[in-house]
Amino acid sequence: MFRSIITQRPHWRESASEYGFSFHTMHGEAYWDESAYYQFSLKQIERDIENPTQELHQMCLEVVAKVVEDQELLEKFQIPSNHWDYIRNSWHCGEPSLYSRMDLVYGGSGHAKLYENNADTPTSLYETGFWQWLWLQDQVNAGKLNRQADQYNSLQEKLVNRFAQLKLQHPGETLYFSCCKDTDEDRGTVQYLEDCAQAAGVNCKFIYVEDIGLSADNCFTDLDNLAITWMFKLYPWEFMLREEFADNLAQSNVSWIEPPWKSVLSNKALLPMLWKMFPNHPNLLPTFFEDELKNSQLQNYVKKPIFAREGANISIHLAGKEVYSSPGPYGDEGYIYQAYSPLPAFGDNFTLIGSWLVNDQPAGISVREDKNKITQDLSRYMPHIIL
Amino acid sequence: MKRTANIDLGAMRKAPKSFVFKPLALAVTVGTLIGCSDDSQEAQIFTSADDCISNNPDQVEQCQLAYKEAVDEAVQSGPKYSNIEACVADFGAQNCTSYTSSNNQSFFMPFMTGYMLSSLLNGGFRSAPLYTSYSRYSPAYGKWTSTDGNLYGSTRNRNVRVGNKAFNPKPAVKRTMSRGGFGSTISAKSSFSGKSSRSSWGG
Repeated sequence: MFRSIITQRPHWRESASEYGFSFHTMHGEAYWDESAYYQFSLKQIERDIENPTQELHQMCLEVVAKVVEDQELLEKFQIPSNHWDYIRNSWHCGEPSLYSRMDLVYGGSGHAKLYENNADTPTSLYETGFWQWLWLQDQVNAGKLNRQADQYNSLQEKLVNRFAQLKLQHPGETLYFSCCKDTDEDRGTVQYLEDCAQAAGVNCKFIYVEDIGLSADNCFTDLDNLAITWMFKLYPWEFMLREEFADNLAQSNVSWIEPPWKSVLSNKALLPMLWKMFPNHPNLLPTFFEDELKNSQLQNYVKKPIFAREGANISIHLAGKEVYSSPGPYGDEGYIYQAYSPLPAFGDNFTLIGSWLVNDQPAGISVREDKNKITQDLSRYMPHIIL
Repeated sequence: MKRTANIDLGAMRKAPKSFVFKPLALAVTVGTLIGCSDDSQEAQIFTSADDCISNNPDQVEQCQLAYKEAVDEAVQSGPKYSNIEACVADFGAQNCTSYTSSNNQSFFMPFMTGYMLSSLLNGGFRSAPLYTSYSRYSPAYGKWTSTDGNLYGSTRNRNVRVGNKAFNPKPAVKRTMSRGGFGSTISAKSSFSGKSSRSSWGG
């Protein structure tokens, strides 16, 4: 695994606008960065990333199976008690999932370690499934990259196939796609998923999360007052379960993507549970709940809120002293404590691997770089190749 | 190969969208006159309950009940327009009427000009409302069309073979009591960053 400088495609910005990739630059800073790429060997991809991702995912599902049956754990996961049955039922019915992304610490050797699991609302999907795929094709065609160069990225293919499977369970139904207003990035991600669903022959419609209505007979409705029965939402369960319409969820009879049981997976309490159930697993970092910290003998650790996004409210503690912290609005629900395992540095960049799954199939990676030790929403997205 | 084998780049392009008039009622105009597939069935088309009764004198009650069901279904899931011009454009002059729903919204709908009835022979029956357009610019001009815009051939046709789906109730229009019950957490959290545009709520 190494980082190489490469000439940028001369017209990539025009190409981005042609394909509707509108968030390559955010808040005045480059987000998509093709001035360099990461190169992996096939062995690194398969042995160190793909196989562990599959195994980690199965371990995570075992955690869900345990947590949904255990009141004490559901409390630790900060899941509101009035929704326990709803989440438990969703798990018992085997409600299907679409995708997730595991963040891994990996620098080219040794075991990749799980940082966290974005199993509910992962983004950087379009950049991964399509845009870096196109970059590779363009650079190979331009003679800038070896013809043999491959990429660990079957994301789009697998998404289309997954939608085709899901369609069989929803004959004739319209799949609604939803995200919040005023975010180009989320709108772009949702549009991409809609494109994939359409390629699978699914009937699609879009509505903003804020525009969802509730009917007198407990149906969620679109802006034409039609009942919503099947919906993808790029909006976290931990928010939805605490909002005004939360009490109508159980009766509304909507098939959600991701399903409600994902609220257990996308929760950082997952990490200490994994360590408890699979102690010393090579792909896990020792991680503890607050009440276990004293006996854990952790000296160097990262304190993360149970619910947080984009690297907010995270602090690094070395030898008991806080040496770094990121601001943010999260943390009301408590924290978990994860052994400090810094991101590998390539030059003056810290690099984080996002390992994708479609349902339970590993499907590719995204690489993000930050000048900071904690990857935040202003980190840059870098393409990668396998050679 | 560890990557997606092929992507249809044409389908991925997002050319600037030019405004295309898409009539609400006739958005889907796929012919579904089914040939000989297994789930197809004979259906008769009548222009009124009396038309049905004169052809089936021994089935007065069924004809009337089927007509009433079709009328109800038309109100629930028939084409609806916010202004009469749009309705007239799709269905022609003197073919539209105003309607006020139970939640006090008013809109315009075309007249139901017929209804489709599955075979009365095997006891039960299923019915569905039909419309036709008097506007020669409409794809439904001189043809039978259903609530979802499917075409069932010329209005001279009185016997058609249709898929079972033709009789399925269409998605019901609901009475929405409130909106905005999801999405409130983000406004609370987004005030924190102070950025001019909000960033992702994904992870």
